[in-house]
Amino acid sequence: MMKSSVSGFLLLLALMLPPVANLLESIMITHMHMQMPLLVISGLFMANFFQNRFPDFFSNWNENGVPGILLFSIIMMYWSLPRTMDEALTLTSVEAFKFISLPFLAGVPLGDSWPKLSSFWKHALIIFFTILFLALGWLYIWSPVQLCNNYLVIEQITLGWGFISTAFAMVVYLIYSYFMDFSKYE
Amino acid sequence: METVIKQSGKTQVFKDKANKVMGISLEDAKLTKSYLSVAFLAILLGGLLGLLQGLNRAGMLELPAWLNYYQVLTAHGLLLVVVLSAFFTIGYFYAGLSHTLGGLLPKVRKMAWIGFWMKIFGFVLAVIPILMNEASVMYTFYPPMAASPIFYIGLVFIVLGVWMCAFGAFINVASWRKRNPGKHIPILSFFATAVFVLLFFGSIPVAIEVFTIIPWAFGWVETINVMVARTLFWAFGHTLVNIWYLTAVSAWYVIVPKIIGGRRWNDLLTRIVVIALVIMNITGGFHHQIIDPGISEPVKYMHVFMSLAIGFPSLMTAYAMFAVFERTARKKGGRGLVGWYKKLPWGDVRFLAPFIAMAAFIPAGAGGIVQSTNQLNQVVHNTMWVVGHFHLTLGMSVVMTFFGISYWLIPYVSKRVLTPQINKLGIIQTIIWTIGMIIMSGAMHWVGLLGSPRRTSYSTYFDNATALSWDPYLFFLAIGGTLLMIGVLMQVYAVFNLMFFAPKGNTEFPVAEVEEDEAPTPRWTERWGLWIVCMIVLVGMAYVIPLVDFIVNAPPGSPPYKTW
Repeated sequence: MMKSSVSGFLLLLALMLPPVANLLESIMITHMHMQMPLLVISGLFMANFFQNRFPDFFSNWNENGVPGILLFSIIMMYWSLPRTMDEALTLTSVEAFKFISLPFLAGVPLGDSWPKLSSFWKHALIIFFTILFLALGWLYIWSPVQLCNNYLVIEQITLGWGFISTAFAMVVYLIYSYFMDFSKYE
Repeated sequence: METVIKQSGKTQVFKDKANKVMGISLEDAKLTKSYLSVAFLAILLGGLLGLLQGLNRAGMLELPAWLNYYQVLTAHGLLLVVVLSAFFTIGYFYAGLSHTLGGLLPKVRKMAWIGFWMKIFGFVLAVIPILMNEASVMYTFYPPMAASPIFYIGLVFIVLGVWMCAFGAFINVASWRKRNPGKHIPILSFFATAVFVLLFFGSIPVAIEVFTIIPWAFGWVETINVMVARTLFWAFGHTLVNIWYLTAVSAWYVIVPKIIGGRRWNDLLTRIVVIALVIMNITGGFHHQIIDPGISEPVKYMHVFMSLAIGFPSLMTAYAMFAVFERTARKKGGRGLVGWYKKLPWGDVRFLAPFIAMAAFIPAGAGGIVQSTNQLNQVVHNTMWVVGHFHLTLGMSVVMTFFGISYWLIPYVSKRVLTPQINKLGIIQTIIWTIGMIIMSGAMHWVGLLGSPRRTSYSTYFDNATALSWDPYLFFLAIGGTLLMIGVLMQVYAVFNLMFFAPKGNTEFPVAEVEEDEAPTPRWTERWGLWIVCMIVLVGMAYVIPLVDFIVNAPPGSPPYKTW
């Protein structure tokens, strides 16, 4: 179990390396759809470490997984805004906040909450993010103005389609889990 | 690994057992026989056209005006790349589904027949304009070259026919899963599911491409976005390549171990290889476009990474295969570091042909990695090297495996046996094919490095010295091609002999068992929907950036061109 925490930490360190961070942040869609999810994934891997270290904290404050997933959702929503991405590139403090918040305030709570959540909450979360992604896709594709000072309109449109295609994949998943009755096969 | 079958499935148990003891039902056998007959007739005709091309490229044969080089090239590609591969793959996997799932459902069999005739109809439609010299666009057929609209309509029917078979397979597998709760899909059907998933999802982009080409070919719209069309084509083209490869791999993992008297490689790892190939395949299409303009360097870099990722399951396969060989040979008393190889059944064509096919994939795969690398690709991209590469991968790794399969599959479906004479013929055929392909593909690779272009008929370019220096290699190409034609004739003879004239008898469908002490395979390997979602996410990652760029920053589109 410690192994996954170490690999999560190594992933975080790798993502923090200036050339890696610069490369991923130089393209809008890789900034939001590659760097940010990878930061969350690094936190996901590290969740074990914190769960073992502070078992009481997680059982007291995240008993049924809902508070954790709420925190995760808030952090994710915050980083979906065009303005936050812009600020991460302009203000060092916001950039630092990105590298702390996504692994530790989104990834770790997700890792702790997901197994605790009932299937209802899991699907509710996916539905919520599907709707959010469709809305963001719509925003980024059809916005009449440039939303980020740091990125061109073409990159904004690309990111919008990235949101739409991810939402499509989630819709396929939802349809699959709605129609498939796994108990029939077990 | 498997739980006990529930009582409700009693009739099914009986059917399964009957299927195992009595062999394939007559109706299922007829279906596979029809598919395989078309496949091998396609190789006969396609091989002949290939020989004509080879002789022309060597400057030894002037083709008549009514059948020019580019017509021959288009028909050769379509026959071997589309007809042979699709019909063989479907015929083989439908026999596999029938054998491992206790017979095809009547509905599924009907779907496969509808698919069969749709593909034949589509193929006839596509061939007519080729014969009329109205569709010399080669099998890649991307704009701005435009064929007669009839050609594309034919392609639509071929795709629809393939989808019919894909959905038939899904229905059969789903029905089996319902009847066998708690069981894993039998490994050969697992491979079949993967292949049909890839066939379906891989042909969606080409269907979109063809639907945008048809109005353009009719003249209803004036221009077309060339880069989008090429990208959609290769999303399909590369997947198609890997579908045959996966078909061959299924025989390597499942059939070959049984033929050599061993057990197959770890079930979980086998399934992981299949899942990895399904998820990562479609995005590999971009390495065919590595020197296309309009794709930025970072995107190309990302795609090199994505293409090379496909190499990983292939390396796992290479390891697994040789591990199985060694393990089996040692059990039979093989000794020494490599001395155990003597214990393998080299005189059995059902082993020899797929073995050489596997060995050929070592240089073939290495060549593929060369081509995925940006700088190296720039050296070889439009040269005969690439033609040599795909003759090595498809003409050897895949087709020789198909040949190896035919020596047991055809006797199995026609309830006959492989005679020692045909086995011997098969061994000789395998040797001739190997020598022919090494000569031809080797010459193609070499002459490509010297700069000889692909997709052109013979020319000395006004007796340019460099172009003349290619001639000796092109002679080798012709010699190799001639040997291959001899190989084709022997193979087709063997196939129809085994189908109609060999002595009656029972031939086993050789599916290897896993090792006895193997840990149970986890249930998550059966979550096909999840793998498909992962695949869609990966396709999104790969294609969103370039496609948005091609469409939003599109140059003026291209009108149709007839360059021949």
